[in-house]
Amino acid sequence: MNGPVVHVAPAGLFHIGGYTITNSILYGWLATAFIVWLLVRTARRVTVKPRGGFVQIVEVGVDFITNLVENSFEDKKVGRKYVPYFVTLFFFILFNNWLGLLPFVGEPFQGGGHPLLRPFTGDLNGTLAIGVVTMLLVYGASIRESGGPIKYLKHFFIGNPLNPLYFVIGLLEIFTDLTRVLSLSLRLFLNITIGEIVIAVFAYLGHIAAPLTALPFTLLEILVAALQAYIFTILTTMYLAIAVNHATTDHAGSDLTDEGVPETIGVQTAGSGAINQIRS
Amino acid sequence: MAIIADAVNTAIIGKGLMIAGGFIGPGIGIGLIGGNYLQAVGRNPEAAKFLGQALIFVAIVELFGLLAFASIFIVK
Repeated sequence: MNGPVVHVAPAGLFHIGGYTITNSILYGWLATAFIVWLLVRTARRVTVKPRGGFVQIVEVGVDFITNLVENSFEDKKVGRKYVPYFVTLFFFILFNNWLGLLPFVGEPFQGGGHPLLRPFTGDLNGTLAIGVVTMLLVYGASIRESGGPIKYLKHFFIGNPLNPLYFVIGLLEIFTDLTRVLSLSLRLFLNITIGEIVIAVFAYLGHIAAPLTALPFTLLEILVAALQAYIFTILTTMYLAIAVNHATTDHAGSDLTDEGVPETIGVQTAGSGAINQIRS
Repeated sequence: MAIIADAVNTAIIGKGLMIAGGFIGPGIGIGLIGGNYLQAVGRNPEAAKFLGQALIFVAIVELFGLLAFASIFIVK
């Protein structure tokens, strides 16, 4: 059957000490080395007086993510602690997505019947690693800000956990929380892989004029790559901010009695807290 | 049914139905998000700063279309 050659899974190239080195991890290492070199070189050239050029573009990006993360948290000082990780995450995903769009990545470079290079984010292993590390940070930070694993788990239950209804709702919340790793990594992986497939399909359809037909979709993918890096960053920021804000502010269940029945539904004034204090 | 399965390549029909069903939902969803965002900006131009929030929901909706696209590689 004729058609464009598409790969969804990475291909193993060679082995080092029992571990298979795939084409995507190879390109991931190359891209990481390039990103580190580029950003360290850029950071050295930052001046107080703007000079323009590439430094300025990176500065705008860093500033954008910094504001985004800081404004998500109620307490800006708390948010400030997590800014470096999210800025790194944004630039890592952004540059990996963009470097995957270069024309020599994919089919043209063949080694042993497989493409020699493959975008790192176009591999589920890579995006799953990013997702797991990020969600571990989110869980760790949430537990630390809540002041213990038990207190953190209590946030999932809107009322008394012994109430069967609130218990089931809390379990569902915990399950929803655990699916975030999968949804984050699958979203990034599928967006990049499907972009590669779409470009391959249109390059195949174009036959001789392949560069001409594939160009519009490559331009679209440049936009999608930037959007996905932004969305990955803002979603993880949101997950962290929700957990941390919940921990640092008053508990939502404070105006519920021991039976888990709301005393004053819809009324959240300072008075309801005072009434609770008098009763207890 | 066995005769039909022999004569027709049911995998291709299945893939087509998968794409059709899987893309119509996110298509409607993203249209609703974009339309409502523009309507909000039209009514209140200060709402333009919520583009980031709109994009988050686009990403959440888009995932289901992508899952449908990825599923066609499983069908043989």
